[in-house]
Amino acid sequence: MASGKDKLLSQYRMMYLIRRFEEESARAYAMGKVGGFLHLYIGQEAIAVGTCEVLNDTDYVFQTYRDHGTALARGMTPTAAMAELMGKDIGCSKGLGGSMHFFDVEHNFLGGYGIIGGHVALAAGAAYKSKYTGDGAVTVCFFGEGSTNIGGFHEGLSLAGLWKLPVVFICENNQYAMGTPMSRTSPLEDLTLKAQGYGMHGDRIKGHDVAVVESHVGQAVERARKGGGPTFIEIETYRFRGHSMSDPAKYRTRAELEERKKQDPCAIAKARLLEGGVSQEEIDALEEAVEAEVENAVETADAAEPAKVENMWSTVYAPSSAAEDYVANYGKHFGGGR
Amino acid sequence: MQTQTQVVPIRTPEQSSGDDIPTVLQPDGTLNEAHDPKLELSEVLDLYKAMVRTRVIDGQLERLQRQGRIGFHIGSLGEEACIIGSAAAMREQDWIFPCYREFGALLWRGFPLQSYVDNMYGNVDDVVQGRQMPDHYTGRPYRFGSVSSPIGTQITQAVGFSWAAMSKGSDEVSSVYFGEGATSSSEFHTGLNFGGVMNSPTIFLCRNNRWAISVPSEKQTASESFAAKGIAYGVPGVQVDGNDVLATYKVVREAVEKAAKGGGPTLIEMLTYRVGGHSTSDDPRAYRVQDEVERWRKTDPILRMKLHLEKIDAWNEEQDEAFKKECEAELKACIKAAEAKEKPPLETMFDGVFAEKPWHLEEQQAELLSGPRAKDHH
Ligand SMILES: Cc1ncc(C[n+]2csc(CCOP(=O)(O)OP(=O)(O)O)c2C)c(N)n1
Ligand SMILES: Cc1ncc(C[n+]2csc(CCOP(=O)(O)OP(=O)(O)O)c2C)c(N)n1
Repeated sequence: MASGKDKLLSQYRMMYLIRRFEEESARAYAMGKVGGFLHLYIGQEAIAVGTCEVLNDTDYVFQTYRDHGTALARGMTPTAAMAELMGKDIGCSKGLGGSMHFFDVEHNFLGGYGIIGGHVALAAGAAYKSKYTGDGAVTVCFFGEGSTNIGGFHEGLSLAGLWKLPVVFICENNQYAMGTPMSRTSPLEDLTLKAQGYGMHGDRIKGHDVAVVESHVGQAVERARKGGGPTFIEIETYRFRGHSMSDPAKYRTRAELEERKKQDPCAIAKARLLEGGVSQEEIDALEEAVEAEVENAVETADAAEPAKVENMWSTVYAPSSAAEDYVANYGKHFGGGR
Repeated sequence: MQTQTQVVPIRTPEQSSGDDIPTVLQPDGTLNEAHDPKLELSEVLDLYKAMVRTRVIDGQLERLQRQGRIGFHIGSLGEEACIIGSAAAMREQDWIFPCYREFGALLWRGFPLQSYVDNMYGNVDDVVQGRQMPDHYTGRPYRFGSVSSPIGTQITQAVGFSWAAMSKGSDEVSSVYFGEGATSSSEFHTGLNFGGVMNSPTIFLCRNNRWAISVPSEKQTASESFAAKGIAYGVPGVQVDGNDVLATYKVVREAVEKAAKGGGPTLIEMLTYRVGGHSTSDDPRAYRVQDEVERWRKTDPILRMKLHLEKIDAWNEEQDEAFKKECEAELKACIKAAEAKEKPPLETMFDGVFAEKPWHLEEQQAELLSGPRAKDHH
């Protein structure tokens, strides 16, 4: 782990990379290069970056469909991510998952998930595996505040609390579940009260300062690693874009958005770098390098081969004659790519 | 939103009544005036008799199952006070949504014993026409919901029902029973959250009888108590000595009155103990020690009420014996009548779901009636 200035520089670099990656994915989406849904992480970058800072390579991470930023912070290359959005074979899920279903075994990023709450129980399962085998890993599971009302959340947290599993549940409270403000779906303002229902620790912070995220998540991860059980952390944040590319976000006012943009996590990190004596030139150089990296990712992804039909079976079933038959008989219907 | 919730750790039998848990009737039958709901003596006697009747029926039905005359029974041995006390606290216009252990509440509502026994036999007069297991009754005219086996489903039903009543401007309150095991179901989560958000007039009655089949309540949750789970939903949670019929009555009644005035839902953890097996299909000796059962027997809900009534000269052993005999005779007559009744005709299996029978059911019915199960088939 780097310290001081170097650490903040590398954190800023990652936040800026996520920001630029998301802007470029929105552009690619508008150009028709990305199929399906696209949920952007713009405004929430400090949470993924602060969290991944405190994790070991062997720890596990689960995220919702809003998963690009977390995957990048975990170490996925922008090319593997962009290629996945574009449905390319070199994508992290071989182009078969798309935006909502990133997966990266190498970086223990165990997925983006489209079903609200479904992955919470999976995360409890991963943590149970760590407790059972004693592998020392901690699992981090992200979800939105809207996900706290569904059964998968209840079941996952209930068992994690009961069995004292090494897991940290991070609720990214970005104020809206699609168009629904939390006041309409929860009688609570402070979601950490939910932790009491499961006998686990609760913590509540704001998510625009990467250092605050790093410190609080760090404590929870350490506790989990030492056998102190799970923590539920509510991190207050805001998404600067709509819920997905198909959401014009008419349920909130321009003034509210502008007010929130004053708490831009990237801008805050950058200001702190300048305050700490990093020169504008140094930052410009870093940003240019990120631009080039993202540009390269877009070009490489765009030029890459589309997803392969045969992978639709080989990525799900072990090799078998039945799977081969299936490809031979039905594969042609899916041929030709996009 | 501020909520007042008691967070007292899950207790031993000796601690299930005490300073921080409102108790009226002490296990030795003495009465704590401070919490006494001050019912008329006749009302108190009704509560006692309803508990005794419930216990007599439980004993007889278990015997019938052992004799192979009915297929199944799920009873409430030891839990009579929390069931009868809470049912009695519901006003005439209110609704009750059962779990599966509350036939005592059903009978309290005036459901005829004969109909209940018919349900145990699944005969032509069974309200559900023999299509369910025994003990899966329903009683709409008695403002009593249906028993459905899947854990937790009644919770969301009661919340929806009471929310609808509130939306229509009525003051009807709904109560819903479930065991402490059901608090781990997703319906508990959904139901309590929805009730909390919508401020629905729902009384969540958690019978903490310490066992979910073979899972003890300590292994059900890491939460300090089941009442404390209300905190997560902005729903006030309270604990009550569920083996004390008067305390249960009082706590539930207060919650009902609050809900009827728009004060929202309450989660009530009734501390009790399942003295019998989970159902007639269970032998609890396989997973718990008898000593625990004996300790709980000392807090028996019927015994303490009997001691109290005897102390105030309102009841005696002779009356007790006579009343039990009366209950037995009444039940015996119902059993005899139920056994004499026909089973529902085969073709009725296809009725009652669709207003107009779809073609595929017509076909299935025709096939069944021409097959070996038809009455006149040889
Ligand atoms: C089980 C399920 N129900 C509904 C949806 C549709 N849906 C997709 S995103 C979303 C809102 C989730 O909001 P929140 O959990 O706050 O996360 P955010 O998108 O704000 O990050 C809904 C309802 C779904 N994906 N899965
Ligand atoms: C969804 C579902 N899962 C499992 C079961 C099997 N089952 C029947 S009763 C029971 C235990 C319930 O315990 P609790 O809620 O404490 O109620 P109690 O029986 O103690 O009154 C279980 C697991 C079921 N009926 N439904």
